Amino acid sequence: MKDQNYILFESYLSEELSQEEVAAFELRLENELELKEAFNQYKDVSSFLEHTFGDEDNTLAFETNLKNISKDYFEKQEGFNSKKVTRFKPWKYAIAASVLLLIGIFTFNNFSGPSFNDYNNYETISLTVRGTQKDLLKVAETAFNNKDFISADRAFKQLLDKDNSNKELQLYRGIVLLELDSFEEADGLFNGLSKENSVYKNKALWYLALSKLKQKDHAACLDLLKTLPEDAEDYKQAQRLMSKLD
Amino acid sequence: MSEKKLHEDQKYIDGLLENNSFIIQAIYDKFVPKVIHYIKQNSGDSDKAQDVIQETLITIYNQAKHKKLRLTCPFDAYFFLLCKRRWLNELKKSSNKEVTINEVVLSKGDEAQELAFETSVFGEKQALFLEMFQKLGAACRDLLTTTFKIKSMEDVAKSLGVSYAYARKKKSLCIGKLTELVRESPKFNQLNR
Repeated sequence: MKDQNYILFESYLSEELSQEEVAAFELRLENELELKEAFNQYKDVSSFLEHTFGDEDNTLAFETNLKNISKDYFEKQEGFNSKKVTRFKPWKYAIAASVLLLIGIFTFNNFSGPSFNDYNNYETISLTVRGTQKDLLKVAETAFNNKDFISADRAFKQLLDKDNSNKELQLYRGIVLLELDSFEEADGLFNGLSKENSVYKNKALWYLALSKLKQKDHAACLDLLKTLPEDAEDYKQAQRLMSKLD
Repeated sequence: MSEKKLHEDQKYIDGLLENNSFIIQAIYDKFVPKVIHYIKQNSGDSDKAQDVIQETLITIYNQAKHKKLRLTCPFDAYFFLLCKRRWLNELKKSSNKEVTINEVVLSKGDEAQELAFETSVFGEKQALFLEMFQKLGAACRDLLTTTFKIKSMEDVAKSLGVSYAYARKKKSLCIGKLTELVRESPKFNQLNR
């Protein structure tokens, strides 16, 4: 392709040609297949350059953020897997089975209506990531997992004082406050989380409902449960609770 | 294409474009486990899965930005197909190793296949453009990077210490050179088949 053509392409794309020149160029495009092909490739390459270098900062910001999230995710994943492999011994199945049996017996014998204590069986939480065992996070995690909610509250409060935008910490602090019957503060946290778009949105909604349940405000609890979307993790539990409350 | 109904999962595409951490986190929580499982089942490991997933999300981001990607199928199927395709390509590249592939049969419409195909061709084309860009002379590379960063050709000319007319002419010739490099590479013909 002649250099002249590339200069023409550029002038056409940057709208620097006169009306007659534009008409003449477009007529050539219709008639000269090779020119048309070269022009399309020129446009393609131009637009690639435009997007690659024109918006480099945003792309870099995205890539950095993505890499961090990915790293966290895979580190937690590995931590979880290695714990599972090394810690879960066969005899633990027996214990797990008997615990389930006990829970079963307990729930079948429980005709007195649903209560908060039917639902506060939290999964163990894991806040620390491999390699960066930050002390305070570890304290919060251990206290929470041991149901030592008073110490957990202290730790979460300190953590949030440092980083009050961390939604995961907000959610756990909410749960801790709920356990300690500080309903007003807990509801405030859950309310905030449930109104923002985040992965903790539905969890917050569920716990807000449980808080109402603990406060024996069954009507408010029902109203909240109804707003829990079908893809929420606790949807099934919520449905069951709703049928008990109704 | 444009008359097809937009899928509600477009929110994931928009979230990536906005660099929304919660959406990215949600993608990892919801859709990534399946991909890791697939790659581990097919001669890969967790590290390989991490790379494949990351590169796939970057390609989706780029396509969304350059070509206004409109999702007309569930994100799940689209994303999985893309990761799978990328992983199978990786395996082919290092095919001196023994490869075990357990084909997973999934029910998904042609829509996802088509979209995933478009995106992966886009990604390969981008990689090719970048590779060829590196083959340009240093003067061309500098001029093009500055041109597209600064946008106003007058300022570009000033910053490079050349006349406006010269900068303009150089820009078109450098882009011309890049299109030729791309066209002459064997990969380009494979992509356009």
